[in-house]
Amino acid sequence: MAGRCRLIVMAMGVSLSLMSCACSRSSSPPVDQAKAAVPGTGTSTPPAQPVNEDAKALAAFLDRVNQYVLVHQKLENTLPKLSKESTPQQVDAHQRALSKLIQDARKDAKQAEIFTPESQVVIKKLIAKIFSGPDGAGLKASVMDENPGVPNLKVNDRYPDEIPVSTIPPQLLEGLPKLPEEMEYRFVGDDLILMDTHAHIIADFIPNTFTK
Amino acid sequence: MTVQKRVSVACLIIGFFVPVDAARVRSEVATAQAQQAAAPLPLTMPNKADSLKFAILGDFGTGSREQYQLAAIMKRVHDQYPFNLVTLVGDNLYGSERPQDFKKKFEDPYKPLLDDGVKFYASLGNHDDPQEQRNYKLFNMDGKRYYSFKPDGNQSVRFFALESSYLQPEQVAWFEQELKASNSDWKIPYFHHPPYSSGERHGSDPQIRSALEPLFLKYNVSVVLTGHDHFYERTKPQKGIVYFVVGAGGQLRKGNIDTRTGLTAAGNDRDQSFMIAEINGDEMWFNAISRQGQVFDSGSFTRRK
Repeated sequence: MAGRCRLIVMAMGVSLSLMSCACSRSSSPPVDQAKAAVPGTGTSTPPAQPVNEDAKALAAFLDRVNQYVLVHQKLENTLPKLSKESTPQQVDAHQRALSKLIQDARKDAKQAEIFTPESQVVIKKLIAKIFSGPDGAGLKASVMDENPGVPNLKVNDRYPDEIPVSTIPPQLLEGLPKLPEEMEYRFVGDDLILMDTHAHIIADFIPNTFTK
Repeated sequence: MTVQKRVSVACLIIGFFVPVDAARVRSEVATAQAQQAAAPLPLTMPNKADSLKFAILGDFGTGSREQYQLAAIMKRVHDQYPFNLVTLVGDNLYGSERPQDFKKKFEDPYKPLLDDGVKFYASLGNHDDPQEQRNYKLFNMDGKRYYSFKPDGNQSVRFFALESSYLQPEQVAWFEQELKASNSDWKIPYFHHPPYSSGERHGSDPQIRSALEPLFLKYNVSVVLTGHDHFYERTKPQKGIVYFVVGAGGQLRKGNIDTRTGLTAAGNDRDQSFMIAEINGDEMWFNAISRQGQVFDSGSFTRRK
């Protein structure tokens, strides 16, 4: 319960900037509260304080992220720890062993299991709001710099070695929900990916993020 | 709060490129290098005994012949001018980052420097895998994606290695805290994306600039080291701060400096290059050196106070 409240409070922080937007736009898509519920967290207990639907969607997303990270940490703890003196062989072996363990543990994972459908709507809205601001064109240009995209992006795939990671401008990171250390946002073309940085794999993605 | 600039530009190479037969050029380069092998390079550094001496290298990890040739020049420079550390401004390994790539794209070309005890301190570019590189002993990142360190010696200097492709709020907050806590006279940030650059391909990064420049100004940063654009550029002081783009350590984007920006104090987009610097008291000297061993930019400036 306490963890759930923390998530909602964190998500509220991110969604504050959206609230005025959401309130003023009657055309904002409604979010089904039942669908936003997260397994294992219970849906019958009312939240500690009133939150808007966008905040709930983001809280559900962060809850899924945390569930993923728990699995990640459990699996990583079965591997020899990396030290500051690691050789490239050790680092590479660790990364590939971890990615194999996660891929096996999530062999049936599908797109939108972490970026829930409701959170995808909210995150796309957040990004659209940032990109429609006065610095939007420059921010988008930063994201698309050396970002050719990858056809047939798939959950659990290794991030392609030959493709540089996109830059995520600080102004965009400020507007997105904060992730644990193991995860980060990157763009591949206009798909927003959730990248497992230790395993170098794509945990989930939102396709066509720039399209409403 | 202005830099008291005393820059003497030895040579400004931006403009002229006459296309000639590539094989002939290679042959001539090889001949020239052989002739120059024994000759000292025309460095213009004070080379004082108690100075902090360091080098700057960026966008290098290609494994190409050009990278190796520049690395050989770095060794020759080191023999004359014994710098102890190299700050890496990102794109340290291009393409795959398997163990053999660390060898081919880093350990082999810089083996003579590593054998001499030179330490390399990496920052991460957009071609770099943070997990692979931050744990790599020879990059001295201490397992971190961003960090600061104070080099050995008598000079009052602290370096700050940032990760500019993922500049999240907590990194910016950490950076400010580190700047605030540092009592070093010289606070030198280095990272990949240039706040100011005349690159036609990338150019100035206004997002990085708006996030970091206020901190540079507030905490009296005098010089910022970057890469990303594949050439060498020294900007005219911007709000009193000199920005270097040192992004041709292996890569090169010929003819990519757009002189219309009005930013350029000196540049070279015709050859691979790196830079050496020397700090003693309030003064910093620099030489920019090409793969041919030419010192094409040099000068000095006094730190902001």
